[in-house]
Amino acid sequence: MGLLIVTVVVRILETMFVVGAIGSAVVLVLSGIEDLKLLLGLEEENRS
Amino acid sequence: MASLPPTSPSNRVRIVVATSVMLTFISYWRAAAIVLNDLASSAFYACGIAEQAVGKSAPWFIVAVMLFSFAVRAVYVESCSMFVRGGVYRVVKEALGGTLAKFSVSALMFDYILTGPISGVSAGQYIVGLINEIIVTADVHGWIPRALHNLYNGTPQLNINLTSVVFALAVTIYYWWENTKGIQESSKKALRVMQITTVMVVILLGWSVITLFKTGYHPVPLPTPENLHFSRESLGFLRHSFPEQSLAKMFGLLGILIAFGHSVLAMSGEESLAQVNRELAHPKLKNLKKAAIIIALYSFIFTGLSALLSVMLIPDAVRVPVYKDNLISGLAMYMWGPLLLRLIFRGFVVVVGFLILSGAVNTAIIGSNGVLNRVSEDGVLADWFRFPHRKYGTSSRIINLVVLLQIITILASRGDVYVLGEAYAFGVIWSFTFNNLAMLVLRFKYKGVRGWKVPPNLTIAGHELPIGLVSVFLVLLATALVNLATKSVATVAGVSFSVVFFVIFTVSEHANRKKYALAKAQMKDHFQLLQSDTVERDTLGIRPGNLLVPVRDYNTLNHLRWVLDHSDTLEQDVVVMTARVSQFGSAAYGLSTEQIFSDYEQTLFTRAVSVAESFGKRISLLVVPAGDTWSAVAQTAHNLESSTVVAGLSGKMTAAEQAFQLGTAWEAIPEPKQQFVLQIVQPDGNVDTFRIGPHTPTMKNEDVVLLHRLWLNVTREPGLENVHHHDILTAALTRFANDYGARDRDEIVKQLKRHTIDAGPLPVRRIADQVPTVQSEPARPDPSNDQDPQSLKE
Repeated sequence: MGLLIVTVVVRILETMFVVGAIGSAVVLVLSGIEDLKLLLGLEEENRS
Repeated sequence: MASLPPTSPSNRVRIVVATSVMLTFISYWRAAAIVLNDLASSAFYACGIAEQAVGKSAPWFIVAVMLFSFAVRAVYVESCSMFVRGGVYRVVKEALGGTLAKFSVSALMFDYILTGPISGVSAGQYIVGLINEIIVTADVHGWIPRALHNLYNGTPQLNINLTSVVFALAVTIYYWWENTKGIQESSKKALRVMQITTVMVVILLGWSVITLFKTGYHPVPLPTPENLHFSRESLGFLRHSFPEQSLAKMFGLLGILIAFGHSVLAMSGEESLAQVNRELAHPKLKNLKKAAIIIALYSFIFTGLSALLSVMLIPDAVRVPVYKDNLISGLAMYMWGPLLLRLIFRGFVVVVGFLILSGAVNTAIIGSNGVLNRVSEDGVLADWFRFPHRKYGTSSRIINLVVLLQIITILASRGDVYVLGEAYAFGVIWSFTFNNLAMLVLRFKYKGVRGWKVPPNLTIAGHELPIGLVSVFLVLLATALVNLATKSVATVAGVSFSVVFFVIFTVSEHANRKKYALAKAQMKDHFQLLQSDTVERDTLGIRPGNLLVPVRDYNTLNHLRWVLDHSDTLEQDVVVMTARVSQFGSAAYGLSTEQIFSDYEQTLFTRAVSVAESFGKRISLLVVPAGDTWSAVAQTAHNLESSTVVAGLSGKMTAAEQAFQLGTAWEAIPEPKQQFVLQIVQPDGNVDTFRIGPHTPTMKNEDVVLLHRLWLNVTREPGLENVHHHDILTAALTRFANDYGARDRDEIVKQLKRHTIDAGPLPVRRIADQVPTVQSEPARPDPSNDQDPQSLKE
């Protein structure tokens, strides 16, 4: 029972980490493109 | 607190509270340099700590953390682009409520307080490591006296951890005293340190590449579960439940997550990005993003690549046993080339390490001081802590508290960088997590303008899903939770620290509640706060040529009494101002109106109004937030077209030094600007008077005689009978300017130095005859200046 709970908790943490890491990679790419545009003077406003 | 009789609403004293901070703005290069002074310092210890915890594949995790820091940086850019005021506590409170806000501030304080000890001890490790290496080299050459050799039963060596503790204590105490005195943090100094660091990084990387080609390299094992070798300490509470090496195999991904958690220290300092946001020059957001790019790239190259190179070049036999706490020194020693050259480069590495790490000790004190000041202003910490130092006016009680905690931490660590690093990681990861969570919640709660949002954002049925923010938050939360289990020392220390601070905050808040309600009611009775974005004459309803009286300590208002005694307020307005100084780099957010006009300012102005009423005279009151007092006074005098600034004598500098500081601040104001007079009222009632800005200098008698003789001789020349004294001066100055700008510059400089040494420093700008200038005519612009006098009135 104890091992089952530990396994579930661990799997939840692993899922959070993997999903978050994939999403963070997307953030990295998109903000990287924006950064590149900023450095080249081509940036658009992203204001709300 | 002095109290005034209740007044009707129409008779309430009007106080103008300027909300735009009077700062000397900095470029994105300088902002990046300040952040990198903190962030790049992690490169000196992060990889050593990570490798002790997870094994030889640690550099890959450092690289992964540095890549992830690009995403964390995006969250900080969004948080800075929100136009909110009030400091970390207030912003998090708005998003998550009071309880989590208190925990968030506690985690941030833990982060700041640990920054000092880990940086100080790490700097000590580098210095002592070098000293020991030099002693070993000297011993090999037989330069160590035999007696000393016998005394130590071999090569004399300093105890690395003990000496590092002594060094860290010395640096901390040094910066404690500097902060108590109120040192001005300089972005120029930060930029210089980063320039020197860049030279070191370029040499390090370039030389490493040559070494790789000449001597080959050891491969860095890939970051797979099989290659993870956790130490007993690195499993924390889990070591009691699982055999060390089976954990990674049981839960492969969990092993990766644990290793990532042990490497997260590499991005400590990222939060400093928010601290410099306020000081960035226009266009703020663009410059912030540029600074963020520089920071991310620089730290990726320095921290990430140096971590990889250390494993590739330093042999396994010595990397952890000898160089675990000074890995970059180890890298220098295993470059290709002669020993002397490597030792010289190691010396350079140590110098850079000392500069950057001791700077981080200072940043930690400044940051902690800033955070606790904001918390105290919000009533969550007793006002007692914020009481200004009698002589220097700094919040010395908060500084004492912070430094005391740092000293205890240094002593408790016994110079063990690994233990400090583990504990530090707790503060780093939880302060990032709370900040990210607050930003996530504010996406739904705060509908105001944002300059920028973390991408990507998906809109479904009119609802925006912040996918980027959620992703970064998931990684941070998963890492923070795993760290709770794997970093037992950090968890116990961090949770204890946070609970203690949480209790202090809660008790203080409860105790302050009644007091604040009373103070608020009194303020409503007597004062009317007028919020103004900038300092303008019209807002205060005053005339040009007014008298500006800066005040700070309500016990030293003699100069205000002197002004009121010597002036006719019907003819000349008197403005009493106080600068609400938040030290450079100490606050992430601008101050709210209530924070700018806090209970201290209320007491100060109550006393000022009492003094004015005792003279039966009217004064105007103004509070301005500022980066430093001198800039605030100079800019306010400029904006209000004041003819005279009357100040009290400072406790830490002479009147001439005060005049010099104000003059320097005046020089930084853009043209067109007008001169004014500074009067310093001494405690004994004597007054020193100085002119700020270009003015007719005080001439020595012999110079006047010389000028007259020259005039006599020149006017004897045919055709020059009508020449005036000022024509002689014009000709002389024109020739001087030409000579100084051309070939005779060195000769002139030598001559002036000789003159200064012979005659002693000249009392520049002092008006010898001490003419009182109160009630003087409004200062007129010098006609010799190329400026339109009308423009000064606009």
